[in-house]
Parts: sequence; C-alpha cells; structure tokens
Amino acid sequence: MAMRARQKIRAPRRGVNTNKAHDFDTYWDALSSSLKKIHTKDASHLSFEQLYRNAYNIVLMTRGDDLYERVKRLEQEWLETEVRNRVNSAISSVLLQTKDLSEMQDQANERRETGEKFLDVLREVWEDHQVCMGMITDVLMYMDRVILSDHKKPSIYVASMALFRDFVLRAVARSDSELKVIDVLESTILFMIQLERSGQIINRQLIRHCIYMLEGLYETITEEESSKLYLAVFEPAFLDTSRAFYRAEGQRLLETGDAATFCKAASDRIAEEAERCLSTLSPLSEPKIKEVLDTELISKNIADVINLEGTGVKYMLDNDRLDVLRNVYVLSARVDTKKTPLTAAVQKRIVEMGQDINKAAIALAQAAPAKPEKPAGGEKKPAAKEKPVNQQTESAIKWVDDVLNLKNKFDKIWEQSFQSDPNMQSAITTSFSQFINSNARSSEYLSLFFDENLKKGIKGKTESEVDALLDNGITLLRYVRDKDLFEAYYKKHLSRRLLMKRSVSNDTERQMISKMKMEVGNQFTQRLEAMFRDMTISEDLTAGYKEHIQKSTSPDEKHPDLEINVLTSTMWPMETMSSLKGDSAQLSCTFPKEIEHVKQSFEQFYLSKHTGRKLSWQPSMGTADIRATFHRSTGKVSRHELNVSTYAMIILLLFNDVAPGESLTYEEIQAQTRIPDHDLIRNLQSLAVAPKTRVLKKDPMSKDVKPTDRFFFNNDFQSAYMKVRIGVVSGSSNKVENQDQRKQTEKRMNDERGASIEAAIVRIMKQRKTLIHSNLMSEVLSQLSSRFVPDVNMIKRRIESLIDREYLERVEEDPPTYGYVA
Amino acid sequence: MASQPSQSEYVTLVSGDGFEYVIPRSTACVSGTIRRMLEPSSQFSEAITGRCVLENISGVVLEKVCEYFCFNEKNKKQMNVPDMDIPPELCLELLMAADYLDT
Repeated sequence: MAMRARQKIRAPRRGVNTNKAHDFDTYWDALSSSLKKIHTKDASHLSFEQLYRNAYNIVLMTRGDDLYERVKRLEQEWLETEVRNRVNSAISSVLLQTKDLSEMQDQANERRETGEKFLDVLREVWEDHQVCMGMITDVLMYMDRVILSDHKKPSIYVASMALFRDFVLRAVARSDSELKVIDVLESTILFMIQLERSGQIINRQLIRHCIYMLEGLYETITEEESSKLYLAVFEPAFLDTSRAFYRAEGQRLLETGDAATFCKAASDRIAEEAERCLSTLSPLSEPKIKEVLDTELISKNIADVINLEGTGVKYMLDNDRLDVLRNVYVLSARVDTKKTPLTAAVQKRIVEMGQDINKAAIALAQAAPAKPEKPAGGEKKPAAKEKPVNQQTESAIKWVDDVLNLKNKFDKIWEQSFQSDPNMQSAITTSFSQFINSNARSSEYLSLFFDENLKKGIKGKTESEVDALLDNGITLLRYVRDKDLFEAYYKKHLSRRLLMKRSVSNDTERQMISKMKMEVGNQFTQRLEAMFRDMTISEDLTAGYKEHIQKSTSPDEKHPDLEINVLTSTMWPMETMSSLKGDSAQLSCTFPKEIEHVKQSFEQFYLSKHTGRKLSWQPSMGTADIRATFHRSTGKVSRHELNVSTYAMIILLLFNDVAPGESLTYEEIQAQTRIPDHDLIRNLQSLAVAPKTRVLKKDPMSKDVKPTDRFFFNNDFQSAYMKVRIGVVSGSSNKVENQDQRKQTEKRMNDERGASIEAAIVRIMKQRKTLIHSNLMSEVLSQLSSRFVPDVNMIKRRIESLIDREYLERVEEDPPTYGYVA
Repeated sequence: MASQPSQSEYVTLVSGDGFEYVIPRSTACVSGTIRRMLEPSSQFSEAITGRCVLENISGVVLEKVCEYFCFNEKNKKQMNVPDMDIPPELCLELLMAADYLDT
C-alpha cells in the first residue's frame, strides 16, 4: 500500500543530502570494482547494503539509465574477454571438424572426451554467469525497479543474458573457423546423443545442464516461450538428426527380417527417447521426438513389418505370440487409430484359417463313403460308440469345434494383445462372419452341433459348463447371416429330439431357446416355443386319454398303452418329418386292427374335446414297445421287449399271423401295410440286416432290400438284454443332409423367404402408402436383415408379383414409385 | 551454494545511528531488499554474518519498520486488520525507508 502512495509524494532529499556529497563517478567506481569482484567470486566481504545504497543513490540522482548502460558495458567486456577465452580454450580442433557424425568413428573417443570437457566448461561459465548476474541484479534492484517502470528496457538480468548469448554463444569458436560456439555446442550434444543411441554411456547430467542453458536463453528480450534458444535452434537440429537416424534404423531393422525384433526394438526406442527427453534433454521435446519416431520408424515400416514373410503377424497369430502382437498393436495404435495394416493382416489370417476349417470339414465329409441316396451306407458302428455317428455329422461338429477354437484363440489375442480394442473386435467379427457365411452349410452345422450337445454332449457336465457351451454356440449364431436357415434346421433337429425323447434335459433345451431369444429376438423363437408347448399339452392329453380308457373300458380288456403327441402342423417342420414327398401323405399306411382300434378311440376322444380339428397320423415319427416271444429251435422260449419304430411294429405284427417257417415277401408286406417304399426299406433293413437286431431273417441274405426278397421271423434271435432297442437305419438321428435333401431345404427356404419378403413389402407399403423403389428396397433389407440377407432380385420379383396380384401399383415411372392398393 | 549451515533464526538490523534490532529472519524478509541482502547463495557479508547495517535509516524509523515487519507477520493471514498506528511526523521518512527497503 505504502509503495503506491510513494510514487506520488516525492520524499524530501534529506537522507541523501545529509550524507557526504558523492557524485556519480565515485558511486560508479565503487560499484564497478565490486561488480568485478562478484564475477571473480570474491564477494564475501562486500556489503550488499553499501552496493545497494550506491545504486540507490545513483538512481536518485536520476542517472539510472547511465548506470544501466555502464553495467551492460562492463558485463560485455567481461564476457568478451574472460569468459570467451575460457570457452575458446576448451574447443579442440576435433570438435570443429565435419559435422557428419557417422564419419567420426575413429575419432569418437577423442571427440567425446574433448566434447565433455567443452560442455563442462560451458556449463561452468553459464552457471557462473547466472549466479553473478543474480547477485548483480539483486544489488541493482532499485535501478531495475525504476527502469522497468517505463517498460523501455529489459531488466538488467535479461539484458545480461542476451549479452551472454551474443558474446559467448554466438562468438566465433576459433579465429580460423566459421563455426560459432553454439554450433559446436549443438554438434557436440547431438554427437553425445548418437553415442547413447548406439548403446554407450554418456554424461547425461552434463548435457542436461547445457540444455538448461539453452532453455534459459531466448532469441528476443521479451523472452517468449517459443523464442527459447532450445526450441529455436537446438530442437530442430535434434529432430532432424533423429529423423535421419530412425529412417536408417527402420531400414536396418526391416532388413533383419524379424517382426518381433523390429517391434521390440521400436518399443525400446520409444521408451528410450522418452527417457532421454526426461533425463537428458527437455520434456518439451518428448511429443516431438515421439512424432518423429512414429512417422519415421513406425508409419513407414509397420505395414511391411506386419506382412513380413515368416515372422509377421501371420506367424505371431499362428504361434500365439501374444506379447509380440501386443507390441505390434501398440505401435500401430500410435500411428493410426484405425490400425489398417494390422487389421487387414488379422482379418486376412482369420479368413484363411476359417477357409481351412471349411475345407477340412468338406474334405472330412467327402472322405465318408457317402452314397448319394442313402447316407446310411456311410454309417459305421464302432464298438465304442453305441450310436453310429455319421461321418458327415462328425465333420459338422468338428467344424463348429474348430471355429469355436479359432474364435477363442482370437478372443484371447484380442483381449491380451489388442487391449480389447473395439475396432479390432469389429474387424475380427467381420472376418468370422465372412468365412462362416462362405460355408453354405454353416447353419446346418451349427444346428447339428447344438443337436449333438443337447443329445449327449452335456451329460455329466456342470451347469456352468453347459452354459458356456451354449454361449459359444450362440456366439457363432451371431455370425451366421441366414438365421432363417438355421431356424429351419434347428426346428427339424429339435423336433426329432423332442419326439424321440433324445434330449438329455428339457431345462437345457429351454435355456437354449431363451438364449437364442436374447440373441436373435422374439420372432425367431416363437415357433420353437410353440413346439415345446405342444409337447406339454400332449403329455396332459396322454394322461387324460389313459384316464378316459380306464373309465370307459373294463380293466380286463387288454389295451396297448398310447402315448400321443399332438403337434400343431404350422409350428412343426412337417415337411421334413414325413420323409414322404408331396401328396403321398394321403396314402396313410394300414394299421393292424389292434392299433387301428386304439387310433380310432383316441381320435374320438380328441375330437370330442376339440371339435373341428383334423388329426393326421405320422407313423414315421413314432416308436412302439412290443413284447416278442421267440420259440427257440431247442424248444426253449425266450422273451424280449423290443423297442421299435411304429412302422417296424406294424411289420412285426404281420408276422403274428404268419405260421412258423412261413415267409412274407417284400411286396406282400407292402401290400398289407402300405408303408411307403422308402420307410419300408429302411425298417426292413434294421430288422433283418443290422447284425445285432436281426429279428427277421431275409432271403437272400444281402444288404439291399429288393421287392422279391422274402422275410422270415427269426426265432433264433439272440440278445444279452431283456430290452432291445431296434433303431431305424438312418433317419432317426440328425445328421448332415445329402444333396437332394439340401436342394429340398433350399427350395423350401426360398419359398419361405419369398413369403417373408412379401409380408415385409406389404407391411411397409401399408404404412407408407407410396414409396420410391430404392427406399422400399432398403427398408425391406433392413427389416429382414436380422433373419437373413435377402437377394435383391428376389425382392424385385416379389414386388412384380405383388403388382400382378394387385396389392401394389406403379404410381410413377421416374423415379419408380409404388403405391399400396387397399 | 546450499543454504548456510548456520542460518540463524534471527537477524540483526542496525540503523544508521547505531541502534540494533533483532527480529526473526522471516519477518525481516518482508522487505525485498533485506531478503536479497540475506540471500544465502549470494555470499555477501550480510548473508554470512546475519547483520544488516542500513546506513540511511535512522533508529526511530527502523524501529517503526521493525514494528511493521512484526505487524505484517502477525496479521498475514487475516482479513479486516486494523491499520497500524503511524505518527504523522514519521510519515515521509517511513515512506522513503519503505521505498528503499522495497517493502
């Protein structure tokens, strides 16, 4: 407070006037000799107060400007003579030589030693200057205050720093050389850094001090941050040499041809430069030198490194070199947020590996001795396995397993090496869906995988394991584009599991459905859920029927037990269940009278409950338990309970009426039962050909069933078990479709898709009334994309057909626009 | 250059007419001039001895100055401090001393 007032009220000169009347020169003489003493570090007996008072007095005499100039001159003289001599004497001729650092190998040691000496001297001189000027500034504080108040001159400290810059650093290093001291300083420091880069130990502290000096000096007296000598002079030179160095380094490392080494070296270099900036140079340079590294070392080479033959990303992925991959990732991430080359390489590899898996699956499938019409021929019955697994099915499951393994592998890599980068994840996802969808059978394979696991794979596994297993499957489902195809297969397989009671656990089935629901949506699982509902209703129905029978008939009367599944035909894949083609369903087979009786009684029972419904029987899906009595030729009688398909039961019941030793021909059997050829052949095969379940004898004994073959009841049937399960050859277990079936499925699929597309078009048009063609297309595509990727031509055809049927009309030709006809 | 090993807690201020005032170092350093004078790195005689002779300040004024130093130190962190009592006859001389001492 007092200070501000002071400026206005000039104090009386009493204090000065009472002192002896000194003039300017006396004061100056005293001051200048003291200042020199300060420079020679001889200040301990000087009184600050005296010096201060001298300067104070001079300023009070309004000679402050003179004092300022004199001090400057004094400083200049001191720097020009004493200091410069010291510095120049430290500059040896080696330091003045060519600036090309690479040619200095032979003189490196000498250069280094003299360089260190030079830097040491320079540092010492600088620090002395700083300290002395600090002291002098303190002494001349009063002068500074007055001088600075009119802002015309820099403070004496700043001025003296500028003097140091001009008369020490910018002085000619040697009389015979053009170089200035600062040039020598620069080249020396750069030389040291190069030494350190090549692995030698240097005196970092020393360099740090010289850098401090450059940071403390400015180009202008206003001392802006950007005019620091360090930034203005040294840093560009440093960055230039670094650029050259790392360009060469990049080339060199690339030539060694090892990606891992490259990445290691690059990461090390980055850390090294960062540390150098902190410990030796200025932290200000850190981002800049990193940029140099990024462009010179990484950007220019990373693509080559990633694609290096034998050691590049491909090799790393194949050999799980997670750490190296992480390096690659980190380096890539530095220069490119998209990490294009790395992404491309990873994607390429995924697709390659995926194609390999696809190929392997196909190869394995083809290795199976598959017969075109009957994949049954490919069945093998290894002793270890109770149920024959078709080789194609095996290949399908192997395919899924392989894909899952691959997925796990890349998930691990993504997590551990790519720092869970979302870009990488989407890249990986894209690649997976690319190769998964390039396998036309992926939907089927995936469904088979679920089928296999739900049938037996989950036996003896804990809940969490099952959960993980299903989740894995669901992950793949996410990649599958044609989800409707998957649904069709899944439905088919599910229906088999449900009807044949092959599913291990209903809970798991439901879990699976709910998982799919979460993944793909409600619509997707509607029908699957309806199938489950039908099963539950059927159970109640069976129980109800049993009760009904017990009430309505006398207990003595023997009745075959009936367990019935009533299925809603729209929800179940009827086409695939009845292995018949088209209209042959009308030709339902003739049931034996006992069974026919049961059938009619159930129909009555059912229709009394639900009027207006039509029941159609699907004997191909049913099974029956029958008790068979075998009269051995030795006279013994043995009984077995046989679990057979409905058709097989019908066939066997025929033999009840056949006298022992008599036979039925194939044609006779068919005439009596009207079982479709296809099913009859298969059932007869399982009854008469399959070695363990030969309840019938066939003449002639051959694998194939011919219309003229004769069948006998085999009284010598042997089995170790009381209960014998006679599986129907093929058809009962879910397996890969053969070509014809596939064509059928595809055809059905196309019909169904056509219907979905039409439904979507009508839905959209009903809402929009009129719509331009291209908009309609894109809306249809977006509506259906969750289920499958519709073919554009198919949509066009559907639009045409809707116009023909007068659901839509053409409103305008250009641009083509449609209107909805209500 | 490190701080004096024997950097005492108190310093002595001596007036032009020989009065001595011993006050805590921290309070004396309110004055920019005295602070620089005592700067341990500068190695001036004042810094070494801890004794500052202020030739052109009289004892009366220096007493008031020292009083202000202590007053300042005491009320440093407070708001609404009552003004210090300054006798009008010392006013100008105190202003000069304040200018000199950069206070």
